Amino acid sequence: MAKDIKISIRNLFKIFGPTPDVALEYVRQGMNKADLLEQQKHVLGLRDINVDMHDGEITVIMGLSGSGKSTLIRHLNRLIDPTAGEIRVDGEDIMNFSEEQLRQLRRERMSMVFQKFALLPHKTVLENAGMAKNIRGYTIADFETDARKWLARVGLEGNEYQYPHQLSGGMQQRVGIARALVSDAPIMLMDEAFSALDPLIRSDMQDLLLALQEELKKTIVFITHDLDEALKLADHLVILKDGEIVQQGDPQEILINPGDPYIVDFISDINRARVLRVRSVMSQPDAGESTYAGDISEKDNLESVLLKSGGDMSLNYRVMRDQEHVGTLHMKDLALALVPTAASEDRSKSAA
Amino acid sequence: MATYDSLFSSLGLKEWCSEGTSSGPMSMADLLNKTKGESAEPASIWDLPFPSMDALNESCAAFPQSRELTKGLEQGFLAIKDSLSLVLDPLTQPLSWALDGALYGMLTTPWWIVIPVLLAVVYVVTKSWKLMLFVGGSIVLLAFIDHYSYAMQTLAIILVCAFICVLFGVPIGISMARSDKLQRLIIPVLDMLQTLPPFVYLIPLIFLFSVTESKLYGIAIILYAIVPVIRLTNLGIRLVDKDVIEAADAFGMTPRQKLYKVQIPLALPNIMAGVNQTIMMSLAMVVIASLVSAPGLGVLVLRGIRNLELGVGLVSGLGIVILAVILDRVTKASLARINVSQKQ
Repeated sequence: MAKDIKISIRNLFKIFGPTPDVALEYVRQGMNKADLLEQQKHVLGLRDINVDMHDGEITVIMGLSGSGKSTLIRHLNRLIDPTAGEIRVDGEDIMNFSEEQLRQLRRERMSMVFQKFALLPHKTVLENAGMAKNIRGYTIADFETDARKWLARVGLEGNEYQYPHQLSGGMQQRVGIARALVSDAPIMLMDEAFSALDPLIRSDMQDLLLALQEELKKTIVFITHDLDEALKLADHLVILKDGEIVQQGDPQEILINPGDPYIVDFISDINRARVLRVRSVMSQPDAGESTYAGDISEKDNLESVLLKSGGDMSLNYRVMRDQEHVGTLHMKDLALALVPTAASEDRSKSAA
Repeated sequence: MATYDSLFSSLGLKEWCSEGTSSGPMSMADLLNKTKGESAEPASIWDLPFPSMDALNESCAAFPQSRELTKGLEQGFLAIKDSLSLVLDPLTQPLSWALDGALYGMLTTPWWIVIPVLLAVVYVVTKSWKLMLFVGGSIVLLAFIDHYSYAMQTLAIILVCAFICVLFGVPIGISMARSDKLQRLIIPVLDMLQTLPPFVYLIPLIFLFSVTESKLYGIAIILYAIVPVIRLTNLGIRLVDKDVIEAADAFGMTPRQKLYKVQIPLALPNIMAGVNQTIMMSLAMVVIASLVSAPGLGVLVLRGIRNLELGVGLVSGLGIVILAVILDRVTKASLARINVSQKQ
């Protein structure tokens, strides 16, 4: 998937405190977060972030609280200004933007969904959905059809004239998503958008987002602290820790080859059978073999293959992508892939 | 010989002191000492007087006495009074017109127009028949005991003053909310306006303006009553949910859009609470302002006190209570309507 780079972040640093420029020099010389806080009384927000976000992909930035993920996403529309670094959107460095250009960027090219919904409490659902258009100077008559269409698409038909406080959390966030969609912006920033929702509703919303993405192909930057959510949504996964990127790449790749004990720790508790996909564990198609038990898609997750095989570990499957034979899945490999990586085994041994 | 003689001589100021021998009249303490024939010198350290202006003046005649402070303040005020009123007079003239106009309009319009109009306003802002009936009943009661014109005068003054308070108070509150520096500057002024005894406002105003002008009491009322609406506007705008403000920024609102589409609507419950307080404080002040010729129920209260007419005082006091209850209920009911539509 060689897609254009939509947003590119280069050497981004963010330091909070009275004299960030002074502190920046120390950070560049390698001072760590704890020392910086103790000796310089500055808080290291982000250190040397480099990420490319591709057009039409969901980039998930994952990290625990305090890892700087919310700070990072606010740099993309400059709700927070960096201490040093470069942020390019469609090739333009937005650090050089004037206030008017920046406003234009926020209005036309980016929309945002918030953890706490941040709807206008005194406006109806319909008016909230059309907020972005309203800011651009359109009246309700101009955006009403659009707003109704997207509200219906997120499942809020018939709620148009209610006020946000009359809706449940999940419904309020649907309004938040509709608001972002009505703005027609190609980039959608989602700041822990589903974190305040309960698990079932969260899962619904994730499905909704994936379905919308299937047809809209927006560039989505999604922030979360939940690894399951990250793995479900991500085309590109960025893992942040203490303001630094520990690893980034294809989530399947990170799962199979975690590059850091911190990540090993993270992924040790997830349901690998549900998250891992056939394409990540299959081997090259070998011509001689003919005892295929059946065809499976490379996109299937291992859980479905296990179900299909009835637990028989001696079988082999032919892996298909659009009618084309792209690989072979040995059930033995599948079984091995379910065991957390060797790195994590070592860790659990030393811990025991 | 007085206590602090040695202080001045050690500082080498003896000469300067003897230059100015007090020509003013003696203070009461001096007179008492003289009649008792005692020396001013205290017997022991136990009786050491605080080195106040008066005590130092005893040792050094050139040192000013404290009464010269109040005198100086008065003379200073009198000195700038003419130029001050030259500036303030035209600036505040519209207030006189507004008050006179409102009083004239309220009294010359026949009661069978004024009362229905008032009731219609009450219904429009509260949408409550019950409250409208209550207000109607109260006004009819006041009219029945021949207090109608007094009550309407008071009401007219309050409405004009509260309107002007909102007109100036809300923008001041908004600018305070936008700048911490301005807030630091204005808060002490508000504290002073709120704690200064209301009568004290009247004194300099009497010097500045003629007592026959209605702006005299108008200014006193506004100065006293504008404080809550400023405070609560400032507070309300500062309390607007940070997340909503962030969303407004993220979708590219201009500062003006943010103010009109987000901050003011979300601060409205607090602003309205401020308006309610402002109206109640104008009512409190309008009674005191009758000392400087403000018409209305306050005049009757004043008459009750001055002539010890118990009945007049009580009835007009009750009239004020009725007005207060009406104004409070109506503003609270409209506040509640705003609150319902904005529950978070």
